[in-house]
Amino acid sequence: MDEAERKEFLSLLQLMWTIRAFEEKVSELYAKGQVVGLLHLGIGQEGVAVGTCRALRADDYVFGGHRSHAHAIAKGADPARLLAEIAGRAAGYCRGKGGSMHLVAMDVGCVTATGVVGGTIPLALGAALVCRETGKGQIATVFFGDGAGQVGPFHESLNIASLWKLPVIFVCENNGYAEFTPLSAHTLVSRLADHAGTYNMPNVTVDGNDILAVRGAIQEAAERARSGGGPTFVECLTYRLRGHYEGDPGKYRELSEVSEWKDKDPVARFVGVLKEKGVSAGEFAAAEQQARERVDEAVRFALAAPWPSAEEVRQQVFAGD
Amino acid sequence: MLPKLPREKLLDLYKTMLVMRRFEEALIRVTKSGISVGHFHVYIGQECTGAPALSLLGSRDTVFTTHRNHGHLLARGADPGKLMAEIFGKATGYNKGKGGTLHTTAGELGFLTTSAIVGGVIPLATGAAFAAKERKTRGASMCLFGDGALEEGVVHESFNLAALWSLPVVYLCENNSFGAPGQKAGEYSSSTIAARSLLSLATPYGIPAVSVDGTDAGAVHQAVQKALARARKGQGPVFIEAKTFRWPGSRPVWPELLTGETDLKRAWDLKAIPKQYADWHRKKDGVLRFTRELLKSRRATPEEILEMDREAQARNEQAVRFALDSPEPKPEAALEDVFA
Amino acid sequence: MAEQTYLEAIRSGLREEMVRDRSIYVLGEDVALGGPFGVTKGLAEEFGASRVLNTPISEGTVVGLAVGASLLGLRPVVEVMFIDFITLAMDQLVNHAAKLHYMSGGQLRVPMTLRVQEGAMGSCGAHHSQSLEAWFLHVPGLKVVVPSNPADAKGLLKSALRDENPVVYVEHRGLYFSRGKVPEGDYVVPIGRAALVRAGKDVTVAAFGKMVGVAEQAARQLEGEGTSVEVLDARTMCPLDLETIVASVRKTRRLVVAHEAVETGGAGAEIAAQVQQEAFHILDSPVGRVGAVFAPVPASPVLEKEFVPSKEQIMKAVRQAVKWVRPAT
Repeated sequence: MDEAERKEFLSLLQLMWTIRAFEEKVSELYAKGQVVGLLHLGIGQEGVAVGTCRALRADDYVFGGHRSHAHAIAKGADPARLLAEIAGRAAGYCRGKGGSMHLVAMDVGCVTATGVVGGTIPLALGAALVCRETGKGQIATVFFGDGAGQVGPFHESLNIASLWKLPVIFVCENNGYAEFTPLSAHTLVSRLADHAGTYNMPNVTVDGNDILAVRGAIQEAAERARSGGGPTFVECLTYRLRGHYEGDPGKYRELSEVSEWKDKDPVARFVGVLKEKGVSAGEFAAAEQQARERVDEAVRFALAAPWPSAEEVRQQVFAGD
Repeated sequence: MLPKLPREKLLDLYKTMLVMRRFEEALIRVTKSGISVGHFHVYIGQECTGAPALSLLGSRDTVFTTHRNHGHLLARGADPGKLMAEIFGKATGYNKGKGGTLHTTAGELGFLTTSAIVGGVIPLATGAAFAAKERKTRGASMCLFGDGALEEGVVHESFNLAALWSLPVVYLCENNSFGAPGQKAGEYSSSTIAARSLLSLATPYGIPAVSVDGTDAGAVHQAVQKALARARKGQGPVFIEAKTFRWPGSRPVWPELLTGETDLKRAWDLKAIPKQYADWHRKKDGVLRFTRELLKSRRATPEEILEMDREAQARNEQAVRFALDSPEPKPEAALEDVFA
Repeated sequence: MAEQTYLEAIRSGLREEMVRDRSIYVLGEDVALGGPFGVTKGLAEEFGASRVLNTPISEGTVVGLAVGASLLGLRPVVEVMFIDFITLAMDQLVNHAAKLHYMSGGQLRVPMTLRVQEGAMGSCGAHHSQSLEAWFLHVPGLKVVVPSNPADAKGLLKSALRDENPVVYVEHRGLYFSRGKVPEGDYVVPIGRAALVRAGKDVTVAAFGKMVGVAEQAARQLEGEGTSVEVLDARTMCPLDLETIVASVRKTRRLVVAHEAVETGGAGAEIAAQVQQEAFHILDSPVGRVGAVFAPVPASPVLEKEFVPSKEQIMKAVRQAVKWVRPAT
């Protein structure tokens, strides 16, 4: 491992820790009533978010779903403004109007997330069309869960992306559950990437808790998209270690299953990889420490930030008003 | 090939096909004579799919079809007069004139509805299959649609549930894009699907999928028979693609009798085939193909064929007269049946 | 001023804007071939297949794709062949197009136009005949325009294409071949302003789309009976030009609203509500409403005729307004 790689790996680790610490804080604040709303946390799925976003360019576009705090942070969003948004403050990315499920951070290319399952998949096609037309080599990436694999526009989008060879990467975070129901009860299709195969789209299924595997698959997909080779479907097998939403007791899952996946925790696994490569314990600890400090600062900022004024409710219904 | 059926049944099937063909020819002719019935789509050229497929349905089965439905209704034994009257918007039509060409419902024949929303019947047919399964009717749900419907996402939602719940539904896709003006992706009036084969839309769900020549009545008959048997036994859905040629007269907006009214002599007399659209008469017209197969297997003579044709034509002329002579609905009927 | 059909006016507006603005893209079923009505004929030849895109029959995804492209600087125009099929794209239109500017705290804009076509005529049946535009009034963030003549067809389309918001542009199939003078050059009709079609002093009829012409005919006939009818083309449904309507009502003290959409829950109900809130004290009679029968659109020509609001219905509503007498309490 050369120095550049060592630095990059430590930065990947720190980003994963930032997401983990962020989500843990959100959970804590929610339990205390300091943050409200419907919150879907990405604890356990950090490998997909970071592995994907760090294989993209800063000017690439990313679209998310309801579980997208991790995507925004991985793409470079400011955790402080993000938390302020989740907490409904005026200093939030969307002035408190979006909330947890509708994060938009245009400064880092997070175009939009959505509360409608699969809803941003068609939007990403539009972004990819723009990328192709502007010719700057940008691409669009969309994150969605396994539940989106059963909605119609998902299939329509695969077809159009393939027909028009759009520079888009479909990242399916298959965490095995659509809300409370296992994937196997929603479809007989065991490998969601097969749907892409239907439309002759290159597709691959990777271990989503192996950040390097995710990064490798996305790098290849991004290269294909940038060089005019069209879309790629990357299915990442992963698991959410929290409930579907905060407050979900998760009784539909066996404890043994959850603990099995805890052993495959993507953060701990990557620490293991780094250990093998000779990175010292002090360096991991420092990465975690810095991440937690950044998140603590974000919490201080968000909770101290002012609420939006009441008039805000009528503002920005139409652009240009 | 001919369906494996006794002569009597084969001739019944043939008579049905002739009624289907002559019905729409008569309809086009009437509309050219100045009687306006609004826009309609024709089934001409797909008879060898619809006739054998629907002949296999029983009283417990249901059918859902699309904007191109006249042939399906007739294949299932609909009364040409009542159908023509519906197309003309008359009170004596199947839906008292409220449905029209695009929305004919004939419950007594198992036709629950015909939808003009592309792909719209696919979830409905899936729902009917669900009801058949839950109510243990041992009936099957037949869902007819074109290749364009496969571009709607709801198809996948339906395939997924039908496979998951092992529903008794036969998805019969009439791919009539062959020979359509511009059949390449992105061109006019044909499906724009990135898949190399339409079958691959169904196979990921574990749905058995088979492609047949839609002008080969025997092949269609066999495939549908097998699919229905599977569905009725509770073994789940089947997807069948029947490839047919687009009839040259099937213009996107108003159909035209570009190939003339069908002359069955062209089945045995090559000299009767005109130069224009010769390929259609020689190879692509399923009704002529079926006629040739009947002759070749000696199930019918040219004289018998012409006699059956005269009967079909007479029946349709009667249908036109019935429709024309039928009363208009009363205007206040527009307010009736909004709620059950 | 050249004479054009409504259809040609739409096409020339679209064409001129595509020349002016490289970011306008046209998407829809068969649009590269002109579409079934020929509105987009010639555009693919002139602007290339990359700006005039034939799409599969996937309305939900195509509208979503247009929303996504509009977020990043394109100005897509999606042709939805019949407004009846907009149901398939409601998720993207209502949950994304209408809300992204607001939800993003102003970071995003959705400058897209949805061209939809409607009208109950020609026995097309219940899936190809509805007038559904009132649905969009209930969704904050969408604008709705309903041109009634060739000049407005061009001018309102230009405004829609230049707007920073999603605009539902509603065409009427029955007007496609109607002719009228269309100002040449860059003719723009601002969104949000009604137009005075015919001045009168006894009753105001505010109408939308094809009903504007029908209201004019009614007005001409009523003139013979001695009733002077002012006809307004309400023209943009959202935002509504309440000011112009109220100003007219101040003069006539009576109002009838007319549209081809089903009367119940239609745009007329909203106008009636707003006018009575604003000007209850000046009304001499209840606001009259003329709209289609509360039924799905029937196919039969006879039933279809009964379904669509007629000149006679407008005349009847006007007469009722004129002779209305406040009952003694």
